[in-house]
Amino acid sequence: MQTLSLSDSLSEDRTTVNRDPFLVVDRVSKVYPTPRGPYSVLENINLTVYEGEFICVIGHSGCGKSTLLNMVAGFNRPTTGEICLKSKPITKPGPDRMVVFQNYSLLPWMTAFENIYLAVKNVYPEKSKAEKTKIVMEHLDMVGLADAANKKPKQLSGGMKQRVCIARALSIRPEILILDEPFGALDILTREELQEELLKIWQEHRVTVLMITHDIDEAIFLSDRIVMMTNGPAAEIGEIVEVPFPRPRDRALIGEDPRYFTLRNQALDFLFNRFAVDDH
Amino acid sequence: MTYPKCDLPAEPPFLEIDHVGRVFRTSNSDTYIALKDVYLEIKRGEFISIIGHSGCGKSTLLNILAGLDRASSGGIVLEGSEIKKPGPDRMVVFQNHSLLPWLTVRQNIALGVNRVFKHLSKQDRSQLVEEHIDMVNLRAAADKLPKEISGGMKQRVGIARALALRPKVLLLDEPFGALDALTRGGLQEQLMKICNDHKISAVMVTHDVDEALLLSDRIVMMTNGPSAKIGEILTVELPRPRSRMEIVNNPNYYRMRGELVEFLNRQKKIKLNKSKQQETAAISRGKLEKVNLQIGFIPLTDCAPLAIALENGLFAKHGLDVTLSRESSWGSIAAGIKEERLDAAQMVAGMPLSLTLGMGGNQPVPIKTALTLSRNGNAITLSNQLLNSGVKDLATLKQFIDNSSDKLTFGIVHRASMHNFLLRHWLASGGINPDKDVELIVIPPAQMVSNLIAGNIIGYCTGEPWNSRAVHENIGFVIATDMGIWSGHPEKVLGVRAEWAEKYPNTHLALVKALLEACQFCDPMPNREQVLQVICQPKYLNADSVYVRPGFAGVYRTGTGDSLYLQNFNQFLVDNAPMRSEQLWILAQMDRWAILPFPRDYETVIDRLLDIDTYRQAAEQLEIPISSELMLPITLVDGSVFDPKQPSPFAMIA
Repeated sequence: MQTLSLSDSLSEDRTTVNRDPFLVVDRVSKVYPTPRGPYSVLENINLTVYEGEFICVIGHSGCGKSTLLNMVAGFNRPTTGEICLKSKPITKPGPDRMVVFQNYSLLPWMTAFENIYLAVKNVYPEKSKAEKTKIVMEHLDMVGLADAANKKPKQLSGGMKQRVCIARALSIRPEILILDEPFGALDILTREELQEELLKIWQEHRVTVLMITHDIDEAIFLSDRIVMMTNGPAAEIGEIVEVPFPRPRDRALIGEDPRYFTLRNQALDFLFNRFAVDDH
Repeated sequence: MTYPKCDLPAEPPFLEIDHVGRVFRTSNSDTYIALKDVYLEIKRGEFISIIGHSGCGKSTLLNILAGLDRASSGGIVLEGSEIKKPGPDRMVVFQNHSLLPWLTVRQNIALGVNRVFKHLSKQDRSQLVEEHIDMVNLRAAADKLPKEISGGMKQRVGIARALALRPKVLLLDEPFGALDALTRGGLQEQLMKICNDHKISAVMVTHDVDEALLLSDRIVMMTNGPSAKIGEILTVELPRPRSRMEIVNNPNYYRMRGELVEFLNRQKKIKLNKSKQQETAAISRGKLEKVNLQIGFIPLTDCAPLAIALENGLFAKHGLDVTLSRESSWGSIAAGIKEERLDAAQMVAGMPLSLTLGMGGNQPVPIKTALTLSRNGNAITLSNQLLNSGVKDLATLKQFIDNSSDKLTFGIVHRASMHNFLLRHWLASGGINPDKDVELIVIPPAQMVSNLIAGNIIGYCTGEPWNSRAVHENIGFVIATDMGIWSGHPEKVLGVRAEWAEKYPNTHLALVKALLEACQFCDPMPNREQVLQVICQPKYLNADSVYVRPGFAGVYRTGTGDSLYLQNFNQFLVDNAPMRSEQLWILAQMDRWAILPFPRDYETVIDRLLDIDTYRQAAEQLEIPISSELMLPITLVDGSVFDPKQPSPFAMIA
């Protein structure tokens, strides 16, 4: 478990991260039976993620990327192949893999504090109330929402709600944070602000992140590698691109790096040329 | 701000947004000014995007155009008549498509058609409906209900429904805002094709810069509210018909995208940090009229004097509290000076003249320059592709161009920069007409290398580290340095608005002194390694010193195996006084290449431009020797001579 309490022992240099495979997706496919025969969503997916990596998965709607993330989260099992976290097969959801969705999913009758407390209580029933409160407040503080602890979701903006979700996910100290288009519903200013916060948190917690996005610039800004999916049915990993920019990242500096344009055009070419979709 | 020129002033504009203001009453009898004095003329068939952050009044403006809201002052005129209420001549497509859920796609489209075209036969109306179903490619879904089709398809029904009423103007309010970025991409291309094929006039509100660039002829950038107004207008110079993959590989694309992103970022900063706006208010101290200064620079090797003045405490020594503003293009430096966001800036040598004379039909902004910051430091880089085809000098380049079926495109950083003048002169000296035989386009320095890699340009003339970077990465070679064209030419100068110089004379003097001292530090070779470490930092060049050292603090490599020992490649302390002869040369070049006509009152123009007095005072106080300019002829390496005493455009003797 990699969390903020370990930060002293962690080196600044991310290149020293453990290169033993952390999350391994091994020849995974997902096929659903239908009256017209089997329908293959994903086919032969192979992906190795290292500890502390930030991976973005990008692809058109229906390319099976949510199916893939659901299988990592344990909501769903592969038809063939296997997904392992630290060499152990994933068979069900667990607190070592937390998911943040686009549509907040906070309990509306509970305050921000209570929403997070609930999660902490479920995972750490043995901790004292004071310990649990401390964890919740630490994480609210981490996303800059200590002042909003007693507010209910409807009193929070979209960006704030998404911050609570991230705080909640991280409060139970998962090994992998799974983000399913977390900023898709936010306006551009808030989105950029949250991206920067997310990177900061990731940098400090060194949690491994798997994130779905539709936004090429978001993927370039955030990730170490971008996994680009071909179109479904039977979607595959089409290409994986390394994002070479040093961290901590500065949006403006990335925007003027010659490699940025090359990378962006490569992704655009993949998504709008080689694997374009017509929305019918 | 530039307004489009009317080709035929006698003809009224197709659609005129005439000084529109909108004031809302708020609950406690206060008022909120949403829009202030918005003026725009739109041509028939034009596609205009309005871009800005939330709260910039862009939707308010669209509502006024639609007739859903009224302007508090000014008004909208469409083909000579004022808009007061909604009508079928202006159809709106909203983000939330608002289709009737119990009607099929066809019925939703037919609803408006049957209402508006009552006078047409049933058959004609039906034909109109079917035509528009085909237009948006929904034939297969024509009998489906909204809930049975995807979000993108619903939005296409919305577009078909609007266009079926044959509006004069199509209004789009973030039409694809609710869709994911990738679905959006496909729909944008469809909309573009429809607008092209049917010559539709449209105004679209968006916050997506790529969407705006793909679709628009012009992009109107709005400042933040309250009192939102038009900040800048960008003319999208991309040939039609467009396709996404073609335009992103057009060398102009990322320059324009950069301008939009930079404008939005500037507005974002203002929005997120309103209190900081007060920074522009002058704080005086002692004799200095204003000590808090924002100075613009471009991350290039020759920004060294500005970086050193700050890092070595020279600004502070002269009582100034300077913030250096890292800008991404010379265009944004010019804009920053114009809109008074910047107090002063590092400028390309011709920019004081180009701003003063209003190059490109812009409003003239009188500028003063009191200091030449650097000399030399440029080179012409060509793609290795040419090297492999046998191009090794000007003569072989000419041969290549003569034999090439395609026109070669070269990048320059600004029309008034020495890069443009030197590249043109060099090409012309080899018998290549820079206006006819090749194409020159403006690209920010930082985008040269990526455009070279992508094959969008074949070469460029720019400052460092961008030539050495191409050489180091083995994608280009230096065919000539500026020292082989005009050794010792002025390169970067300090520029301020003339009005600013008059208002803050002591501040101006202090600034020139601080920078002159910095130039003194940057010039000697023994200091160069130290300067190098400063400028390579992320806040300045953000570059590996490997790209910056060549020519600046070490051997210059051309990529063809040559190692040049260029003592004077970057000069910071030679003739720092602004020189009449050099500015006259620039004027003559602007005339020669039809950038600006040679002004009849050139004596006065140059007199007002150069602040020699401030330079003299600064140099005297720093005990730097000064002498009067002798107005000697300028001799270029190819032997051409310019006599500043007879500075007609014909003074160039080749």
